[in-house]
Formats: sequence, C-alpha cells, structure tokens
Amino acid sequence: MDVKEQLNLIFREVFDDDAIAITPQMTANDVEGWDSLSHITLIVAIEIKFKIEFNRKELRGFKNVGDLLNAISAKIKT
Amino acid sequence: MTFNSLEFFLFMPVVYLAYYFSPDRFRWMLLLAASFIFYAALKVPYLLGVLLLVATATYAFGLWLDRAPTPQAKYRLLWAGVVTNILILGVLKYIPFHAFVAIGVSFYVFQAISYLIDVHDEIEKPEPHFGYFLLYLAFFPKLLQGPIERAGHLIPQLKVLRPGDLQAFRSGMWMIVGGLFKKVVIAERLALLVDPVYSNVQDYAGISLLLATYVYAFQIYYDFSGYTDIALGTARLFGVDLTENFHSPYSATSVADFWRRWHISFSRWILDYIFKPLQMRWRDWQSWGTASALVVTFLACGLWHGSSWGFLIWGGLHGIYMASSVFYNPYQKRLDGVLGLKGSPYLRLWRILVTFNLVCLAWIFFRASNLKDAVFVATHLFGGIGDMSRLIDLWGFREPFVALISMGLLALLSFLSKRQHLAEAFFDRPFWARCLVYYGVIMYLLVLGSFSSRAFVYVRF
Repeated sequence: MDVKEQLNLIFREVFDDDAIAITPQMTANDVEGWDSLSHITLIVAIEIKFKIEFNRKELRGFKNVGDLLNAISAKIKT
Repeated sequence: MTFNSLEFFLFMPVVYLAYYFSPDRFRWMLLLAASFIFYAALKVPYLLGVLLLVATATYAFGLWLDRAPTPQAKYRLLWAGVVTNILILGVLKYIPFHAFVAIGVSFYVFQAISYLIDVHDEIEKPEPHFGYFLLYLAFFPKLLQGPIERAGHLIPQLKVLRPGDLQAFRSGMWMIVGGLFKKVVIAERLALLVDPVYSNVQDYAGISLLLATYVYAFQIYYDFSGYTDIALGTARLFGVDLTENFHSPYSATSVADFWRRWHISFSRWILDYIFKPLQMRWRDWQSWGTASALVVTFLACGLWHGSSWGFLIWGGLHGIYMASSVFYNPYQKRLDGVLGLKGSPYLRLWRILVTFNLVCLAWIFFRASNLKDAVFVATHLFGGIGDMSRLIDLWGFREPFVALISMGLLALLSFLSKRQHLAEAFFDRPFWARCLVYYGVIMYLLVLGSFSSRAFVYVRF
C-alpha cells in the first residue's frame, strides 16, 4: 500500500466516513468534520502510523492534502 | 477621531481627494500622514510614540530574526520581539488605575506579533521598507478597532495603492452609510435601553434583566459590525480590501460556529497563535489537551479585552463551552443519528437558540459594571415576570419600535443588495432618482440617528 492509500485509510477512520477519497488538491473545506479541533487528531494519527513527527512550523505550511502527502513522503525517506 | 464624529466626515473627503489626484508613488506617504493625523486627533500625544515604538521594534526584530544564522537564534529573537510587544501593551493597558489610554494599541500589537511569528515560520518575508511596514500597522480605517490584518494580506496592497473604481466607490459608500446606520440608528438606540438597566441591576428582576441582556447582545453586534463596515467601506474607497469580521454571528449553530462568525480577524488570530501551538504541545493528552488549550486560549481572549473578572469569566465561559463540546460532540453525532434528527430544520433552529443563549449568558459578564452586578443578573434572570412597569416606563414603546423597524429595514436592504440584478437596476436609474433614495437614507440617519458621539464599544479594547 502506498503512502496515499494509507493516508486515505487514516482519513476515513478519523472523520468516520468510508466514502472519503483523498486528492492532492483537497482541503479542510472538502471534508465534513475537518476543522481546527479535529485537525490535531488527524495529525497525531498520521504521526503514530508513519512513526514520524511534525513541528508547529511544518504544520502551518500545509495548505492541502498534497502538501501533507509530500511532507510524509519526505519524512519516511530520511 | 472616531467614525461617528463630524471631524471624520470632514477629514475623509479631503484625504480621498488628495489621494485621488496624487501621483502613484506618493500615495503611501499620504495615507501614512493621514493615519497619524487621525491618531493624533485623539489628543493623546504619547500614543503616536507608542505606535512608532511598536513599529520600529517589530520591523527591526523581523529583519534580525530573518538574518539569524541558526534556528535557535531565530527562535530567541522571535521571543524577544513578542515579549517586547507584550510589555508595551502590558504597561499601557494592564497597569492599575487606568493611568494610560491605550486606544488601538491592542489591535496593532496583535498585528505586530502575527507579523513576527509569520516571518519566523517563513510564511512571510520580512518587509524591508519601513514606510510600508509602518502603514501596515497604522492604516487609519483599521487603526482603532481592527480588523486585525495579516501582513501577507495588507502589505502587498499598500505597495500598489490606487483608488477603487466606480463600483468599489459605490459599494464602499454604501458600506459606510450602512455601518453608520447600524451605529447611530440601531446600536445607540439599543444602548439607551440597556444602559439604565445595567447601571442599576438591583432595581430589576426576571424578564426585565433577560430582555436587557438580549438587547445588549444586539447592541454590541450592531455597534461593532457597524464600525467594521465603516472601516471596510473607507478602505475600499482607497482601493484596499480589509478582512471581513462578521458573518451573521447569531445564526451560529454551535459556540465553535459562533467564533467562526464573530470578530473573525481576532478569532483567527487566537486560533493560529495561541490555540494551535498549545494544542500541538499538549497533543499527547488527546481530548484533554485540546480542551485545556481551548480554556487557556479563551482566558487569554478575555484578558485581551481588559484586566477585570468580568472579561476573564466571559472568556472562561466560552472556553468551557468549547472544551465540553470536545467531549460530547462524538456522542451528539451518534445521538442525532439514532433519533433520526440528522439534517432536520428543527434541530438546526434548536441549536441556534441554545447557542444564542449560551453566548448571551457570557455577555452578562462582559457588560456588567462589576462582578457583583453580573452575578446578580445571572442569578435573577428567571425570577419570574417581576415588576415590569419600571422597564416599560423606562423604554416606552417608541424607541423599541423604531429600533425593530430599523433592524428590519436594514435586513431587507442588505438582502436586496445581495441580488446582483437589483443592485445593477438601481444604478441604471437616472441620477435624480438615485438622489431621492440617497436623500431618504440620509434624512433617516439624521432624524432617527443619535449623534451623541458615544464611543464605539470596542474602542476600549
């Protein structure tokens, strides 16, 4: 399973919706329940699953799912 | 100078004409000079010094931290800059006995802090030109009461200043008139209903206190959003687009939703610069981390308004509302599913009512003159009908009636103006026909407006 598929599973679990199909252009506006409160749940789930850690500055830079995907890929390679 | 003063309506056309005919390269200087005159008209000379100090310090820290060689050095310089700003605000606003006037300071200090953090996080490049940077903090339409602008949104606009086109001029003028209407016709009238009750709460009970509190909720909305409309409209004449601050806040279906609609530039600020960093730091505590971050954020939000128990409790209540929703939201979702209420219009209406009442409960602490009065109001709201004759004597029937009619009229006008074809049809009418409408609106303002030059509520913060 590639990074995108794994991330999609996390999205479905966190936002409790099996119909979610993530795309790189997707933003918080496109997913019901993805707000500033639930965002951290998503981030923590990603951190645990991929065994990585983000800092505050990195999180501010994410504008859409594509940015998130790139950051995850970059971190698991190093 | 305030937006509801005669001075402002003499000052603005002069600045606008000078701006309109000025060569492009002098426009920023003109607005800067106008902003300083605007601020100086408050007749508190040291405030000009405070503005210059905040601007100079923040400008310098921005450049230094960008050039710092290591992340640690950057981080230290960020903190030095932020603490400098907080100290300036603290000295002016929080030392006891109200030794200083701090009008506008909390607004531009917040903008300065957001600038430093954005430069540190590499969201923005530091601004090399001190003139543009100073104008970013000082721009007079938003100087006294916001919106709290981000550098990335405002500075680029200040570098290509040009008067708005005819359409921007028209919509800007309508926003100014609409904002003035909200302030002098509606908010001032509602204040006349609220102030006598809240200055003598012990004389009232039950429904009278409840009504005064509901009316206050609308007073503060019309007051603050009226101010914001004048600010946005004025900026639009100069071709500058400021951030929207309100989006029908009392139609919110949850307290979180309320904060997405009320004083938006401020709630985004506390979200980005207080809540998110705390939530991130405490993420290992999961829901408890988020809940604690919310409570701390809203306590800080209360303190920003002033160092009194009332503001602290107002913020604390919002913090508790939001924190408890972190725990019950998942159950709420399931419960709605089980009861088959998902998407029901009644559920929506019920939520709006509950949210409005929660917000009003917090407003009591925001408005009351002291903690004792606030507790009195909060504990006597349901004391039955009580003796309402006092309230009826005080309010009469004319003022509440005029207030309600004006609110209805404004709602109707803003509904109509959102229909593109109607707005276009209006501007296609001959000039004399439009003048009749303008004349009607201005007469309404003059006859029913109250120009007691009572300050805007948020000018204190």
